[in-house]
This record gives sequence, structure tokens and C-alpha cells, in this order.
Amino acid sequence: MSTMRVTKGAQIIAGTALLALAVAACGGGGGSSSESSGADQPVRMEIGEPQKLFYPSDTTETEGSEVLAAIMTPLVSYDDNKQTVMELAESIESDDNITWTIKLKPGYTWHNGEPVIAQNYVDAWNFAANVENAQSASYFFGRIDGYADLNPEDGKPTTKEMKGLKAIDDSTLEVKLSAPFSQFPTMLGYTAFYGLPKAAFDANGKVTEAYAKQPIGNGYFQFTKPYNKGTDQTIDLKLYDKYPGEKPKFQNLQFKIYTSTETAYNDLRAGNLDIIDQLAASSIASAKTELGDRYIDQPDAGIGYIGFPLKYNDIYKDVRVREAISMAIDRKTISETVFSGTRAPADDFINPAIAGYRQGACAVCTYDPAKAKEQYAAANGPKTLELGYNNDGGHKEWIEAVANNLRANLGVEVTVKPFEKFQAILDELDAKKYGGMFRMGWAIDYPSPENYLTPIFSTEAAKTGSNYAGYSNKDFDELLKKGDTASTPEEGLKFYQEAADILIKDLPYIPVYFYRVNAGFSQHVKGVKINLLNQVEWTSVEKV
Amino acid sequence: MSDIRPVGPAHPETEQDAPADAQVTAVGVPEAPPLQERPEQPDAVPVKPKGRRDKPASLWSDAWYDLRRRPLFLGASVLIAVLLVMAIFPQLFTSIDPYDAKTCVLANARQDISAAHWFGTDNQGCDVYARTIYGARNSIVVGVSTTVVTALVGGLLGLIAGFRSGATDTLLSRTTEIFFAIPPILGALLILAMFRTGNVWTVMLALAVLAWPMTFRIMRAAVITAKNQDYVMAARALGAGPWRIMFRHILPNSIAPVIVVATINLGSFIAAEAALSFLGVGIRSPDISWGLMIAEARDRFLEAWEPLLFPAFMLSLTVLAFIMLGDAVRDALDPKLR
Amino acid sequence: MGRYIIRRLIQAIPVLLGSTLLIFATVFALPGDPIAALAGEKRQDPKVVEVLRDQYHLNDPFFAQYWHYISGVFRGDFGRTYAGVEVSELMAAKFQVTINLAMTALVMEAIIGVGLGLWAALRRGRATDSAILASTLILISVPVLVTGFVLQLLLGVQLKLVTGIDFFPVAGVFDGWRSYLLPGFVLAGTSIAYLTRLTRTSLVETLRADYVRTAIAKGMSRRRVIGRHALRNALIPLVTYLGADLGTLMGGAVITETIFNIQGIGQELFRSVYERQQPVVVGIVTLLVLVYILANLVVDLLYAVLDPRIRYE
Repeated sequence: MSTMRVTKGAQIIAGTALLALAVAACGGGGGSSSESSGADQPVRMEIGEPQKLFYPSDTTETEGSEVLAAIMTPLVSYDDNKQTVMELAESIESDDNITWTIKLKPGYTWHNGEPVIAQNYVDAWNFAANVENAQSASYFFGRIDGYADLNPEDGKPTTKEMKGLKAIDDSTLEVKLSAPFSQFPTMLGYTAFYGLPKAAFDANGKVTEAYAKQPIGNGYFQFTKPYNKGTDQTIDLKLYDKYPGEKPKFQNLQFKIYTSTETAYNDLRAGNLDIIDQLAASSIASAKTELGDRYIDQPDAGIGYIGFPLKYNDIYKDVRVREAISMAIDRKTISETVFSGTRAPADDFINPAIAGYRQGACAVCTYDPAKAKEQYAAANGPKTLELGYNNDGGHKEWIEAVANNLRANLGVEVTVKPFEKFQAILDELDAKKYGGMFRMGWAIDYPSPENYLTPIFSTEAAKTGSNYAGYSNKDFDELLKKGDTASTPEEGLKFYQEAADILIKDLPYIPVYFYRVNAGFSQHVKGVKINLLNQVEWTSVEKV
Repeated sequence: MSDIRPVGPAHPETEQDAPADAQVTAVGVPEAPPLQERPEQPDAVPVKPKGRRDKPASLWSDAWYDLRRRPLFLGASVLIAVLLVMAIFPQLFTSIDPYDAKTCVLANARQDISAAHWFGTDNQGCDVYARTIYGARNSIVVGVSTTVVTALVGGLLGLIAGFRSGATDTLLSRTTEIFFAIPPILGALLILAMFRTGNVWTVMLALAVLAWPMTFRIMRAAVITAKNQDYVMAARALGAGPWRIMFRHILPNSIAPVIVVATINLGSFIAAEAALSFLGVGIRSPDISWGLMIAEARDRFLEAWEPLLFPAFMLSLTVLAFIMLGDAVRDALDPKLR
Repeated sequence: MGRYIIRRLIQAIPVLLGSTLLIFATVFALPGDPIAALAGEKRQDPKVVEVLRDQYHLNDPFFAQYWHYISGVFRGDFGRTYAGVEVSELMAAKFQVTINLAMTALVMEAIIGVGLGLWAALRRGRATDSAILASTLILISVPVLVTGFVLQLLLGVQLKLVTGIDFFPVAGVFDGWRSYLLPGFVLAGTSIAYLTRLTRTSLVETLRADYVRTAIAKGMSRRRVIGRHALRNALIPLVTYLGADLGTLMGGAVITETIFNIQGIGQELFRSVYERQQPVVVGIVTLLVLVYILANLVVDLLYAVLDPRIRYE
């Protein structure tokens, strides 16, 4: 889900539609609606345009995931205590953290009537992992034994199946990993791990475009018609009557596609919309006063960092330089002024939304300009700094604010360098062309502390993952391995926290802010709750 | 009209390429469709009041005589003079250097107008007044440099195409047709996307690439008209070489429309720079541009209108000054329109 | 006439091919891999990128790609975006919106521009004339960027706040034709000014012409002289201008569309250049160039209708 925030950002570039709407926010009247709210009136929720058609394993952003979550039942979900709970899976067990046996609950059917069977998962995951299908979430399956066969170094894969994946019978799925991993069940709540019905595939075992336009799910809602990306302004869902689990208390759900959340907020106040899951910073002040207890403010699992190209630029080599830079950043004012409270100052490498967060763990994340200046001078830090960001995601303002902090507090020159896309920063980092600092954001793939560590800071991730700093520390890698093979999640957590301590000491990236969920809903609904994956819990929502 | 005007048909007549191959069957005297400003023709120089000056007045001295008496021209000149001073010595207008980070205090973001901040502060807590003043330089540099480059390139090629005709002319004319067909904003976006960075020079280049075909057409048309005039024939008969004819006889008599269009376009180039910077492909931070300031202020327009409207006002004023100048120059050089 | 049209259309082919080739080559030359950029902030698996690049023929040599594209266009297939959407479907939706906007602008331009120009010409030299000319100067000078925001604030927000009249939607196109009024006017602004001036100049010249003088001398009513003789002849440059402007209005609405959050081709084009969505950029440009060529052709044909002296053979 790394792109979740990016997507919202992409709308900003592309849409750039803001002010209007910010303006409108003020101009609108109260929140009273003129529309009748009959029984058939749907609950209406704002989303941005999904980036792709609905291939679950190609949906790596929040908007498409939100829609899929309404029509699919995941194997596991997460409760209020951030713990993994069984959903479509009855049990997920393993003796050695390598071979996992997943039992499915009986009674679930696809919207076309097919029963949900273990083979549905084998088919879906094999499709997702096969490089020929170019699914963007294929790396999720990298831990499964046989993934390498579907992603050979050269040439085309010679098989279509991962050998670690087996349907023992209709209700039992066996998954063999290539190395022990204690957090495996936690991963399974993610979009890429949904099963797919037989009807989704053509004769060659490929998911059809027709399916991706009108996906057949196994969840409480179903599509009423195919979705034409780029032209349709709404996605309409209706309740699936044969759903065996707890059903939502209303019949129809409508996703309305907006290019700007300011416009959406305006519509919410006018009574044309019921739920917005992320308000724009410019709407926050108004939302707090006007929506009252219909305004939701809770931690979101994303983190924003500033990174260093440690692997080839030695000017950042001295950890005191990095610490000084960190202490020179006024995170609190940035969160309040630039983000209007839609971000919180970061003080750990693990986000408060996830088990394992420790408040104030990162001491050098506290604003201390005097100490920063002193330490920077003592370490003989560089006189000029460069700070890169992608200007397609609404990052400009906070990056400028950080640059001003550094200029004023460290007495250095700071050049701010905009890149068109984050990918452009990556290209230059890979080519060792860009030697400055860069911004980077992380939204979790699955709610485990491990997800803040391995993909971003492990030595392994420098080659294929998101370790753009090129950071490498053997002790850190070792602790991750211990965490992965721990017999219980609690034991694993301890190792992960120890690993995070190493990061705080080494500071390969500077954590700057934690994302927050700032949602709002209309008077026509109540009980709106947003889960760890930023998705609305439809079973708790009621119409008023 | 489009957002980026100069490159489009800023002036109808330049677009009004009356169908070149239309066969006009004359019924009576074929009258050219009335043009707003048609290529200057030598015989269009108005009859001058006799005895005003000793020396025979040229189009130029006549125009200058005329200009000095026009309030429009005087007003524009004063405004432009102030803007030029602002662009060269911004520190005369403000003691705050907006390029100095210490002058921005984030905690003071989006403050109203006060004695300390005449135009309030922006989202970064920077002084809007100082930024607005310092923004003049980039606008004017882009406007002037683009105008000069466009006039030189378009004018020269137009001169050559009009004079030589034949294959050179065909090739150049066909090329300009393609440029006219491509929406200018898209062209600018594409060119600027190639650079991956933006500053006054990339913006200038992008605008010049898109704007020269217009100068080219005007020059070409003027040259073709001038080429067939008696005095050119006479010069040729007297054995003048092609270079001499081109630069001594044709150029001075066909450059007036180019100058008119160049002056008027100057204002449009300034507006175009603001538009491109607004879209994020023009001048970039930490450099200051009015378009950029507008873009940065728009998200919080409701909370603070000052950071948006002040640069917007200055931008309009600057464009207005140059367009007024262009209007005055046009009227002076094309007396038929009065 | 028919042969003339055919000849003009044939002549348009090099312009069309030239401009598509030029745009295609430019997008091709832009730095950055559109496929890798799809992944956002997580590194896209290079093998997946390769497969997708093959799928979209991005690994072929330039002319092979161009041929693949252009031959598709002749079959009516504009290709797909890198998110797998049919470009033709996408363009149909976006063009609809932009055509509405451009047409609103054009109608406003014609009514206001010609109206004001006529008025100024008839009051030539008087205060009304000067006032109209001065306002055209301002209309030309104030950039779209500024008129857009100011009108949005004044008519979209303040009007509602102050008078309670909720007539102009602030943004979006959810309120039918009313949605297009403000952005239409903003888009048309400069053109209105030029058209006013053009109408005035054109009419003034015509009113001086011998045949008008003759008509007046014959004792024809002023209204009839202006309506039947002067206006009709003055109309030619106006029609030219309007025709040429249609293409410009459609291709140049990015800022207006951005300010008013209208999802037309302007914003789509901007996004597509940003995302290197080659088929979308080239597709939209091809259609815009076609609009430009056809509008110019129609204008030229209208000459013959308005001015019987002009005949195309």
C-alpha cells in the first residue's frame, strides 16, 4: 500500500483543483439536506479515482482497495487492539513458521453463486505472483516457496504455479514459505491476498478485463454494473443477501469519485455526500467546528521521513550531522501550521497506530535548535545541503518549511530540489547522480512493526526493496531474522523494537511526521469507524 | 482565449491567413478584408502636415512625434519605468530580503496585513510584500528576453522566407503551420518537461520556440509586400545585390508590424510565465515568481487572501503596462486605425 | 467547391502527420519511465516493469512505436493508457466537458464581443467608445489566472454569502449549464476584448466605404444600412476570428479548468504529460489539430457565403 498517500497527492498535481473548493467550503450553507433519505438512498462515500481496474493484486493504493474491501472478505482482519483476528479463515496455524495451514470457514459463496474454496486462493496467488501478469503487488508473494520460479532472473517462467502453494481439500490451504516468518498471518489481511472465483479467469488462467471492471467478490456488497474507469463518476454497490457473516445495516453503498477532497467536503456539508475518509488540510479548521463529533481524528499508520544517500555520499556519514539536522526540524509547528493537524510529530520508527510504538523513543526527534547548531558545528557538517522531493504529492510546503528550519537553525544554505515523480528521485539515487537528502513516505502493507523495518532498512531491501539510503547493519538484520522466526508475535515484537533502537542510534532516515486519519461524516449516518488499513468498517455504519 | 496567449492568435489578423489558394474573382475592386493591423506598407504613411519639420519625416520620427503626445504611452512608460527600477533594485522598495530564510517564521504563517507585513504573510510565514516586489525581476526578464529572441529569430527567418520564396519559403511556412496547430500550452508543457527543471531561461526558451512562427508570418507577409514595391525594383535595376536590397531597402520598410507585435506580446509573455509557474513547470522555488506565489497561496485562499491577490494584482498591472505600450506603439505605427 | 474542400483536406494531412509525429517524438524523448513511475514510492519490481514495457511496445525502436500507434489510429484504435483504460473512451468523456466549456465561451464571446464592438463603433469617438476601449485593454491585460480567482471569489463565494443568491457554482460541473458560465467567461475574457476591438475597427472601416455612403445618400434608414450592408461586410474578419478561436479555446483551457476543477482535456493533457501517457497526449493533440484544421476550413468556406466576390473553385 505504499502508494496510498501518493495517490491522494497525485490528484493534487493532476487535479490541482483545490482552491475553488476551499473557497466553496466557506461559502456553503449549513449541513441540512434537501434530499429525502428513503430506504433505497445509498450511503455515499468519497473516493479518488482508482488508479487501475480492479485486479486485487494490482491494486496498491487506498482508493481501489477501499472499493475491493467492500466486496471482498479477507482471510484475516484487525481488531481495535491492533491484533489479527480470523475473518474468512477459520484458523491459520504453523509449527515452524514455514508451513502454514489455512482452514476456511464454511458457507461463503462468491456473488455468482460459486462456493469459496481453497483452490480460489491458489489460482489468485499464482496469477498475482507470475511476472508475466505484471501485477504490481506481486512482491507480496515473495516469501512463498516457488516465487522465484515465477520470477526467473532471465527469460520467461517455465511454470505457472508456486510449488509452496497447495489446496489440500476445498477448505484447507497449505502454504510453504521459503524462510520462517512469524508475521505471515498478519500479511493476509491485505488486498493482494483476496481469493478469486473461477469465473475471474479465462482459458489461459489470466484474470479477464471483464472481471476487473465488475469484480465478483465474496463480501457483503456486490457490484451492480461494470465500472468504466475514466468516465464513470460513481461506483454503485448493493448488499449481497447470501453473505453468511455479519451484514451492514443498509442496502446500498455508493462511492462517488472526486478529484479534490475540498469539493467533496463541500458536498458533504450540502448533504450530497456522507463519508470522507481523508479531509484536506485546508478543510480541517472548518470541519472541527462544523462537524463536531462527526469529525474523526485518529492515528494513521503512515510515516514521513527525510532520507540520506548514505551508500555513496560521505558528507552525511557522521551520525552527528544527521542528528543535528533532525534536531533542527520544528516538527510541531510544521504539523500544526503546514498540515493543520493532519500530521503528528514523529518520535519513533514505528507508528502509534501499530503495536510496538514507544512514545518519545527517538530523542533526537525533539526540536532543539541550540543543540543542533552546536553539534552540527562540532561535527563540521557540510555548508550547503540539498533537499529533494517529488512535487506531485503536496510535499512542497513542508519541505520548504524544513529547508527554512535548516537554513535558520544550522546557518547553512539549503537548495530545495523538486522532482516530477518519486521515481525520478529513485532513478537518480540508483545512478548515484543525486547526492542530496530526499523525502520519503511509507504506508504499511500490513499492520506489523516488521513492516516499518525490513522493507526500508534491511540490507536485503537495498537491492529490491525500498532501502533507498543503502543502509546496512548486520546487527539490525540479525534482530529482524530473530523477530521473523520468533514463536509468538509478542516475542517477535521485542526483537523488532530492539531493531528499531538501532535505527534510532544510526538514524539512516529522519522520521518527521506520522500521518493521521482526518475523516468526517454527515448527519445521515452514524457509527463510522475507520480501520488500520484506512477502510471504513461498513458493519458498524448505520443510516440515521 | 487560451491561458497562454502570446503564442496563439493574439491578433486576429495574424491568423487570418486568407485562404492562400482561394481564387478571388473580383467583382469590382477586390478589397482585402479589413485588418486590425495590417502589414505596414510604405504608402500607408500618412500625409504629414507640411512645415512641421525641416527634415522629411520618416515613419519612425513621425511615430515618435506622435507617441510623445499620447497619454496611453506616457502612462505606460511611467509604470514600466517603476517596474524596471523594481526589477533592478528591489531593495529600494523593501528592507526585507525574501531570499533570506530567516525572514520567514513558520509560526507567523498567514497573518493579516500589519505594519510589519504590509501585504501580510504567506503559508511559510514569509513577507508577501517583499516577495511581490522581488517577483518583478523574473517576470520582466522573461518578458523582455522572450520578446527579443522571438523578434530576432522569427523576423530573420521571415525576412529570408519572404525574400527568397521558393523551397526555403515552403519549408519554413509548412513548419510554422505545424506550430500553429499545436496548442501552445501543451507545447510549453512538453518543452519544459524535457528540462526537468525550471528557471527564467527554460521558460524563455519554451515560449520563444512557440512564439516565433507568429513573428515569422508577419515579417514574411510584410516582406512580400515590400519586395514588389517600385523602390525595390529601382534598387534592383540599379544593380544592388540581394543582401543590400534585403537589409537596406526591404527590412526598414517591413519591420514596423514586427515591432508592434513584439511590444504587445511582451505583456503576454509575462502572463504566460505566470501561468506556467502556476502550473509548476515554470520558475521554481526558491526563486520567486508571481505565478508561483499564486499557486502556493491557492490552497489556503480562504484562510488568507493576501498572498494570492497581491501578486495577482502586480501581475495584472505589469501586463497592463506593457499592453498599453504595445497599443500606443501600434497606433503610432499604423495610423489608419485611429 | 467540393474539389476545393478535398484539396484543403489533402493539404491538411502533412500538418496532421507532422504535428502528431512531433508530439509523439517529444513525449518519447521525455526523461523518465512511465511504467516505473506507476509504482509511486515503492520500487517497482524491474521484471514487472519489463513485462509492462513489452506489453505497451515501449521497448521497440522509435519508428516502430510510431507506426504501431499511427496505424492503430487509422483503424480507430487510440491505444490504452498505462492504467489499461481505452484512450478513445477517456477522450470522449473529457472532450464532452471541454466542448461544453469552449462553446459557452464562444457564445459569450460572440454576443458580448460583437455587441460591445457594435456599440463602440456607433458611438465612435464619444465617451462610451473610450470606456469600452479602456475596458478591453483591462480585459486583455488581466491574466486568466487572476480573473479566474477573482471571479470565483466574488461571484462563486461572496455573492452567495452577501446576497444569498446561489447561482454560480464555485467549481465542478455538477450543476448543468450554470457550471459553465463563470469558467466560460473567464476562458473567453481576452477573446471578448479582441473581438470587441475587431468588431469596432471592422465596422468603422466599413461605415466609411463608398457603398455605405451611397446607401445613406439614397435615404436608406440607418438601421437598415448598418444591418444589411455594413454589418454583413464587417462580419468576415469576425467569423475568421471566432473560427480560429475555437481551437484555441479547446486547447488552451488548462488554467481555467484547473481553477474551476473542470475535468476536461486541459487537465487531462496536463496530467498525461506529467505521467508520460503517450497515447493520451498524442490522441488529444491529434483531435485538437483536427478541430483546428476543420475550423479554419469552415471559416474559409464561410467567406464565400458572406462575401459573394469570393468563390472557391
